[in-house]
Parts: sequence; C-alpha cells; structure tokens
Amino acid sequence: MGGVEEVGGRGGRNPVVSLWGHLKAVGTGLKYLIAVPRMTVKYPDEVIELPDGYRGMLIYHQDLCISCGLCATICPANAIKMYLPSGGGGGEGGGEKPETPPKRHPGIDYARCIFCGFCVDICPTGALEHSKVHDAAYERVEDMLYRPEEFAAGPPTVEFERPPKRLRPVMDERRGISYEPVG
Amino acid sequence: MSGAGSGERTLELLIGPQHPASGHMRLVAEVDGDVVVRLRPDIGYVHRTVEKIAETKTYLQTIPLIERPPLADTANHNLGYVMAVERLLGVEAPPRAQWLRTLLAEMNRIHSHLYGLGIHGIMLGSSTAFMWAFGDREIMIEMAKRLTGARITYSYMIPGGVRRDLPPGFAEEMEKALRYLERRLPDYDRIFFSNPVTRARLEGVGVLTREDAIRLGVVGPNLRASGVAYDVRRARPYAAYPELDFQVVTRSEGDSMARMLVRVGEIRESIRMIRQILARMPDGPILAERYAKMIPPKWRDYVRETGRIKFPAILASLRPPKGAEAVSRVEAARGEAVFYLVSDGGPRPYRMRMVTPSLRNVVLFSHLTRGCRVADIPAIYGSLDYFPPEADR
Ligand code: SF4
Ligand code: SF4
Repeated sequence: MGGVEEVGGRGGRNPVVSLWGHLKAVGTGLKYLIAVPRMTVKYPDEVIELPDGYRGMLIYHQDLCISCGLCATICPANAIKMYLPSGGGGGEGGGEKPETPPKRHPGIDYARCIFCGFCVDICPTGALEHSKVHDAAYERVEDMLYRPEEFAAGPPTVEFERPPKRLRPVMDERRGISYEPVG
Repeated sequence: MSGAGSGERTLELLIGPQHPASGHMRLVAEVDGDVVVRLRPDIGYVHRTVEKIAETKTYLQTIPLIERPPLADTANHNLGYVMAVERLLGVEAPPRAQWLRTLLAEMNRIHSHLYGLGIHGIMLGSSTAFMWAFGDREIMIEMAKRLTGARITYSYMIPGGVRRDLPPGFAEEMEKALRYLERRLPDYDRIFFSNPVTRARLEGVGVLTREDAIRLGVVGPNLRASGVAYDVRRARPYAAYPELDFQVVTRSEGDSMARMLVRVGEIRESIRMIRQILARMPDGPILAERYAKMIPPKWRDYVRETGRIKFPAILASLRPPKGAEAVSRVEAARGEAVFYLVSDGGPRPYRMRMVTPSLRNVVLFSHLTRGCRVADIPAIYGSLDYFPPEADR
C-alpha cells in the first residue's frame, strides 16, 4: 500500500541504495525550487474570498426578530443572551398598568462564540444570518460583547491600511490551490 | 530521582509538559546512558472534563464539545457521537445524509493523517515533511469549508442527518483536489517516506508485535501496522461504508515506518472512497422525515433551494426516552472511538462516555520505548499519531 518498496528492501543499510535514495530526495527538492505549491496568501495585502455559506460573524435583523429566545437556548457556548431593552422600561411611570413585559432581544459575546451556526439555523424568522467577516480584531475583551442595539448595527468592518487584493481559492491539479483575483 | 549517589546508574529525564510535540503532556524517561530503561507517559495536562460538561449541555450542544479534543479529526467523532444519539432517539439518517457523513469523515481522515505525518516529520527534524503535510491539509480544509461553512470544527452531522447538501461544483473541484494529492504522494515518498534518513530513523524502531498489539488493545493504524486487519468500517460497517469498495490497509512489520506507511495507504484508500461517494451518492433528503416535517413551512423552499437545513425547534431540546442507553463505535482517523450515552429522559445526557483512540494507544509509550535510544523517543512518539488533547478529553 505504501511506497517504501520502491527503494530496495527494508532495514538495509546498503550504501548504494542509500545514495540513490538521497539523490532522489534532493532531486525532488530541486524540482520544488521551481514549482512551489503555495497554500498561504500574504494577508493582509491579500485576503481570501470566503465561500457562500461560510459561518462568519453574525448579522442580526432586529426587525425580523420575534424574541423567541431559541438562539439563546441553543447556543452551546452561552454566547447569546437575551437582554431587556436598555434605558429602563420596567416599573417607572407610576400609574401605567403592568402590560405585557418588555420584549427581550439577543446580544452576542464574540469572546464566547464558536461560530457553530446553530443560532442561525434555528432562528425561525431569519433574523440571524452569517456574514463573511471573520477576521475582526479587538483591543479589549469587553468590546466583543454586543448588546442587542449594537448587534443589530451589523458585524464590525475590518479596516485595511491598503485595500487588499481579494483572492478566490480554486482547486488545481498541479498546485493544489491556486488563487484567482476577484472583482 | 535515582541519583548516582545512591549507587544507581539511571537518570530521570523529563520531556515536556511544554508541548513536546502534538500537545501538552510529559514523558518521564529513566535512562541508562543513551538507553531508555523505562518511560512513563504523564497524561492529563489538557483534560477538559468533556464528559462532565456534556451532562450540562443538551444533546445538540454536546456536538461542538465532542469535536474539540480530537482536533483535526473532528468529523469522525461528530459522527460517532451522533450515531449514539440517534440510537437513543430511535431515529435514522436518510441514505444521502449517510453518504455525506461518510464523505466528510473520509476528507477528515486525509486531513488528520496529513496532520499526523507532518508532526511526525518535524519530530524527526524534517521541516519539509512538516511544511508539506501542513500545507496539503489545507486542500481538505478548503473543501470542507465549502461543504460545511467551517474549516475544522464542522458540527456538520446532527441527529437525523446532516446540515447541508453538496454545494454546486463540489464534485469537480474535489476531483482536482484528489488528483493533486495523488500527484504529491510519490514526491512525499521520495523526499520523506523513503528518504534514507527517515528509513534509518524508523525501520525496526519501536516494533509492536501482532500479539502485543492485540493484548494491549491498540487501535487504528497502529494496530493495523502490526498485521491486524481490524477496522470498524469493515468489522461493524456504519454510514455508507457497507456500500463502498475499500481495503483495510495493513502491514506486517509493526515498526514506526509501518505505522507511518499504513496512514499513507489509508490516504490512498480515502481518495478512492471519496471518488466513489461523489460518483454514486443517492439522491434524496438529508434530514430524517421525523424532523424534516417539523421545519417551519415558510422555510421549505429555502431548504430545497439552498440545500441547507433549518433546524426545527425540537432540536434545541431533544429528549430521548428515560433509561435509554446507547453505544456507538466508529473508525476515527487515529483508531476506534467509542461513545456511550445514558438518558434520564431529560434534555441533557445523564452520562456521556467518550473513549478516544489516543486514550487506547497511550499504553504504547511505555511498551515500545523499553530499551530504545533517547533519539528514538520522538521517532516512536510521532509514529503513534498520539494526540494528547484527544486522550485527555
Ligand atoms: S454561532 Fe454558535 S456559538 Fe456563536 S452565537 Fe450562534 S449558536 Fe452561539
Ligand atoms: S434572533 Fe431569531 S431565534 Fe433569536 S430571539 Fe430573535 S427570532 Fe428568536
């Protein structure tokens, strides 16, 4: 099954066989001096275009949300919690009758999120979607927590010093992956 | 601590726990000059109480948890766990879902074997093998990303089926990827596997006899490299394996080289299986009818058009019958993985037992290193594809 039989018998320390083996190894190395398959790109000057359906940071459409709380229930990492509207509500205003309690909305803590996408898949109204943003960086861990209003404002935009070249990975019989410029 | 002063001649050598290779563990070696008298693996540095945490998570939430310890080989463990949950619930995934599961499982096997070969390479001092294998695993990561939306921790298999169908153009792209890997393997052979340096380091080193392999309960490629043709995919076929044509790769030598070459042979078999899967995958639903019919009607078109499942709310709180127990086993990349689940009728496992291949294979550290040279320790370690987090869980 493996390929070792190609080079003589096993366990042999035959110098001729060894020399041949070394030559083949060096020869193969030389071949790759010219044709180098390169799997990485020069981020952040080059950025890999992500495929449709990529499970990136979330987009929250508050207008579609029915406050069912399923996203918070299913989240395996406790990244989503349901929050009361900020800035009060509750018992103020004296005479008002206790109507339906204020609705809760989801907020997300990206310090906890593992991008499993369970929340997106279970949201019954489509209020949650994946974006293709996945490389946001934060200076403070508190900034990774988005309350509902902030969550609804969309995922962070990633700022690049120079506009990066966007590259789409395409499978390539010879090079493994070749990267085609997009747009 | 057997200092020379006490009249003893051996010295205790500590390797690790600062990440000696593939994760945090410590090897306590008692050496007499350059010869290892005894070696004890000191495990548990990356124990994450996975089994206990599972008791606090719902059945679905446990999926991402299961995937963390066996890193690289996430899909095979995902599959084993989900099979056990399905047995508890008495639900079965439809045929197409079974084939898709097998597809990702085999892609992940290639990825995991390359990962293991790369680590083995760097342990022998071959940066080339490391760079090549770690670069080439990107091929399967990229393809899995298109299928599942994630690079490593896919959480792709759920009770009753899978979350997504094949994206457009997947089979054509995969064929190119497989051809690339096939072109590369002979070059790997010339530059690394058959390299005289590699051969000198691995052949005849750390020999595991067939009898010992069986007696010690070794699993996976490490077992098959000692001439035992045991593979769960063949012994107790699951998912789409009964319908695939593949060979159980074995070798008879039982040394470190044989273990490495069994993995290489398995990469070739996985390539063959992926081709068969993509050529012959049956049409049909990817989620069991029991759950599919609970998907809100407004999402039916979306599911049909995109091939992506929307979860019915029931998945958030699956409750298997009280007292139900289930066992499942799969051939994960590093060997047989066993899951055992007990339900108390609630939404969380009462007990989840996860026996990983690395846990079964850790015994080999002591067994294979007796009498070897100190320089053989990394050669043997790497040949076992032992992954501390997978063993510690
Ligand atoms: S993607 Fe997963 S971890 Fe992140 S918020 Fe959604 S359910 Fe929670
Ligand atoms: S985002 Fe979706 S799942 Fe979460 S509360 Fe709103 S409607 Fe429910």
